[in-house]
Amino acid sequence: MTLYDRTVSLALRMAVVPAALLIMIFQAQEVMAHGVELEYHESNAIEIIARYDTGEPMAEAQVAVFAPGSPAEPWLTGLSDESGRFYFVPDPQMPGLWEVQVRQAGHGGLIRVEVGETGENGDTPPAVGGFTFAQRMLMTAAVTWGLIGTALFFSRRKH
Amino acid sequence: MGSLKLRGLLFFLLILGLFFFAGCADTPDEVVDGAVDEEEVVEEVEVDTAEDTGTLLFVADGEERAREGMNSKESWVMSFDHIYVTLSDMIAYQTDPPYDTDQGWDIEYQVAVELPGKYTVDLAQPDADPVVVGEVAQAPAGHYNALSWIVARADSGPSEGYSILFIGTAEKDGEVIDFRLGIEFEVAYLGGDFVGDVRKGILEPGASAEVEMTFHLDHLFGRDDRPLDDSMNLEAFGFGPLAELADDGSVEADLAYLETVLDSETYDILVDVLTHFAHVGEGHCLAEFVE
Repeated sequence: MTLYDRTVSLALRMAVVPAALLIMIFQAQEVMAHGVELEYHESNAIEIIARYDTGEPMAEAQVAVFAPGSPAEPWLTGLSDESGRFYFVPDPQMPGLWEVQVRQAGHGGLIRVEVGETGENGDTPPAVGGFTFAQRMLMTAAVTWGLIGTALFFSRRKH
Repeated sequence: MGSLKLRGLLFFLLILGLFFFAGCADTPDEVVDGAVDEEEVVEEVEVDTAEDTGTLLFVADGEERAREGMNSKESWVMSFDHIYVTLSDMIAYQTDPPYDTDQGWDIEYQVAVELPGKYTVDLAQPDADPVVVGEVAQAPAGHYNALSWIVARADSGPSEGYSILFIGTAEKDGEVIDFRLGIEFEVAYLGGDFVGDVRKGILEPGASAEVEMTFHLDHLFGRDDRPLDDSMNLEAFGFGPLAELADDGSVEADLAYLETVLDSETYDILVDVLTHFAHVGEGHCLAEFVE
């Protein structure tokens, strides 16, 4: 089976740089602006990278972001930049699966971003109690041995 | 006697401890077999009243190119009288987590709704925007975010023996060619969520929703608003090979015939087109030839 070379490839990653970039932009504007109030907030943005399978970026492609539970109405729309990148900051009050659709000239793709309780980038939730299986087994063995020791201790006092 | 009690206590504590920590272990992931029988899956969905259901429409679309015509990559101006496509084994799925074609053919789903039967539709008709293939009443409400189907050979009707049949006219530099191109191969497709200017497949209780099988004619014939060496046109069959076979202003061809008269590279391009011809909206599908 051959995949069509115009198949869309979407990738995402948490963008640390954009927050700092925003700060620089706002600070520069502060010098030139008159009667304008500017502020910034640091936040973790999601970076979408859209390109064709040929590697060609999907420049100025239509982007629609759908919040969890609202698949019919876009939460945000916009255009990707020349390199096929698009950034957005999901509402932290809306945890769940965010969907991002990128389309251009009859070709498009959809990518999903897990945000909130289960962690960004689809990270799986931590194990129960935050322990790994090996840690739990070690704890089980230690506590069991403790129980045995305690019982033996009282057993010896009876003699 | 006291020793026995203590040994009993010891054993009890040991068992208690093991049970306690065993309870802390993660519940093993539920193994979901994508090949689970459809009826078995549907039975798990409680649909007690009509308020939990809606009407799911299976539709097909050849987009504007099918209805209004198009320019091939060699600038043949093509118009279509008919584009017969025969569809079978159409199944819409509700999947959570949502299915993605990167997962391959093993689709895990919670609800599957099938449109039984085989249907032939004409994508070239002006009102085929899109054309309704069939509908399933009382389908469980929810988000149908995956779709599979087979483009199958017609058993009867105007395109009998073909899974797809193009009938139309192409014109270039004063030359007019009536063409008829038949595709015999059968292909199975599996796609994810609809990608387009609107979302589809979201079925609200008491309402209706569409799931769409979309066919991109530019993948087959190319497009002249891009260079011939554009990757899209390199992958497209075009109309040029058919034009060269035309005799007295007409050409009739199918895969069996073309395999004998085309060079293998050109023929392989045509066959390969069938693997990326169908979409769900603009979303890519997996494709596999049906033996």
